[in-house]
Amino acid sequence: MQEHARLTGIGASEGVAVGPVFVHRPGELKPDRERIPEGEVDAELERFKASVAVVVERLAETADELRDAGNESEAGIFDAHAEMAEDPDLQEGVEERVRDLQSPEAAILEVGEEYAGMFAAMDDEYMAARADDVRDVAAQIASQLMGREATGLASLGTPSVVLASSLAPSDTARIPKGMALGFVTAEGSKTSHVSIMARSMGIPAVVGVGPRLEGVFDAKVAAVDGSEGYAVADPDPETVEGFEAKMRTMAEERTALEKYRYVEARTSDGRRIEVAANLGSAKDAEDAISQGAEGVGLFRTEFLFMERDQLPTEEEQYESYSAVTRAFGERPVVIRTLDVGGDKDLPGVDQPVEENPFLGWRGIRMCLDVPELFKPQLRALLRAGAHGNLKIMFPMVADVSEIRAAKKILDECRDELESEGTEFGPVSVGVMVETPAAAILAEALAPEVDFFSIGTNDLVQYTLAADRGNERLRHLQSADHPAVLKLIGLTCQAARDASIWVGVCGEAAGEPALIPKLVELGVTELSMSAPSIARAKKIVSEL
Amino acid sequence: MVEREVTVVPKEGLHARPAAMFVKEAKRYTSTDIVVVKGETEANAKSSLKLMTLGAKHGDTLIIRADGDEEEAAADALAALISQEEE
Repeated sequence: MQEHARLTGIGASEGVAVGPVFVHRPGELKPDRERIPEGEVDAELERFKASVAVVVERLAETADELRDAGNESEAGIFDAHAEMAEDPDLQEGVEERVRDLQSPEAAILEVGEEYAGMFAAMDDEYMAARADDVRDVAAQIASQLMGREATGLASLGTPSVVLASSLAPSDTARIPKGMALGFVTAEGSKTSHVSIMARSMGIPAVVGVGPRLEGVFDAKVAAVDGSEGYAVADPDPETVEGFEAKMRTMAEERTALEKYRYVEARTSDGRRIEVAANLGSAKDAEDAISQGAEGVGLFRTEFLFMERDQLPTEEEQYESYSAVTRAFGERPVVIRTLDVGGDKDLPGVDQPVEENPFLGWRGIRMCLDVPELFKPQLRALLRAGAHGNLKIMFPMVADVSEIRAAKKILDECRDELESEGTEFGPVSVGVMVETPAAAILAEALAPEVDFFSIGTNDLVQYTLAADRGNERLRHLQSADHPAVLKLIGLTCQAARDASIWVGVCGEAAGEPALIPKLVELGVTELSMSAPSIARAKKIVSEL
Repeated sequence: MVEREVTVVPKEGLHARPAAMFVKEAKRYTSTDIVVVKGETEANAKSSLKLMTLGAKHGDTLIIRADGDEEEAAADALAALISQEEE
């Protein structure tokens, strides 16, 4: 064994850890029985169905947990696995074999392997990866049938650094909470399942170390530095000390931020900057408050409308908007009206197929055209306004006439509620400044509204004509660009002249390098993902 | 029974999200059998595994064959879906 072996890889998830090694070696799963007696076909098929149901439920639970944690893309993997487990062709294949008296555990492994073989043989990286997915799912069903855990990871009882050639999503998901100190894998990249999972769990990870990793599988202790991207097997006392010092520093930094968590951030010249959270669902309100959120700068309402067969009712929307408004009491909650376009399906709305959904019929453009979509949302918002400090924000505004039309419909809704005798509250109205047009026309828009909130993500994309998802255009994807800053400046100037406030609710609001610039331009509210709040308050306090 | 000939539009082919959406749509037509044909190979439109083994790529020609109570609606909806650009 090579002592103090240093293994360099890709730092996939920040942080450092030192701990005992646990090697995950997924042994080939062997069926307990190959054949079954003739009279037991029906009973075995029942067992198979029951096992599939258990696996599907477990996968769906994991997907829900990830979704609640805001991890949509990882949740999608588990959705896909659940669907594979229920796949009609997979089931049929197993059923046929069981009728021929093969045991269901042997059958599912065989059928899974058949599909895996087909996928692996396809000349396509994406499909080759699906081979592992099918194997993973088949192994889970077989393990369930045989009443055993698919991997030792599920019974890990000592907090450990996990070493493995690769880790499947079902592997990481089944490690008991708190038992993984770090991950080191031979395969993988920053975007592998394990990397994304590690980041969402806040566990340091080094991936893509290469086959050298197997050479240290007999190590007792491992140290992982996920920030620098290396691991040390059986570190000497000096190395351990270095790691421990780094852990202390990082903990100290966290504590240093801790004291800023609940302060009201003010610059040294006394300007008060509100630091708020961006939320996607009312469930996340408590967490945001505990992280120091002084309000909600952007509450997205899309989730209420997605993945369903019918539009949500006014009542359903009212419940959700009231929940988040109540949670924040007197603190402001800015709720954005529906911003969906041709890129996402909306039940009951006839959406045309568009060449450029991001430049298409979306946001306020769609809402103004479809009153049966817009009015229930506005009524629900007005009603929820009775329970706190609710503000309505309209997305994708590019013209003054749009905001006037939206306000007119809002007035109609108010009149309706009034004549029905339904309770509603005072709400203020704002524009989400995300089209260059809105920033350029800020002077004309400002007298119409109570506030502006700059959506930097889209403002950057539209101003620099650079697709947000295009990897090659990364240098054109930051708000720290003179053209974007100029538009932000215009917006702030117009707001000052009209005595309304300006917030920023894009990623830029939480970026340490940008916060000073935004504050200097005149922004008085910064809204970001909750974990960034304490750091933003610290930066503001030091200005 | 009805048939529709379509060209695969999504850049990723009939993979990942497009495949998942396709299967989801196909499953809505519970009383209609739907198969997707590529060359000599046929796949159950309600099985994402089988569908992916077709390896249908951007620009490939497929035949959607539906048989059952809602065959017209199913074939039209699925043909439209696969002729659609992804975001």
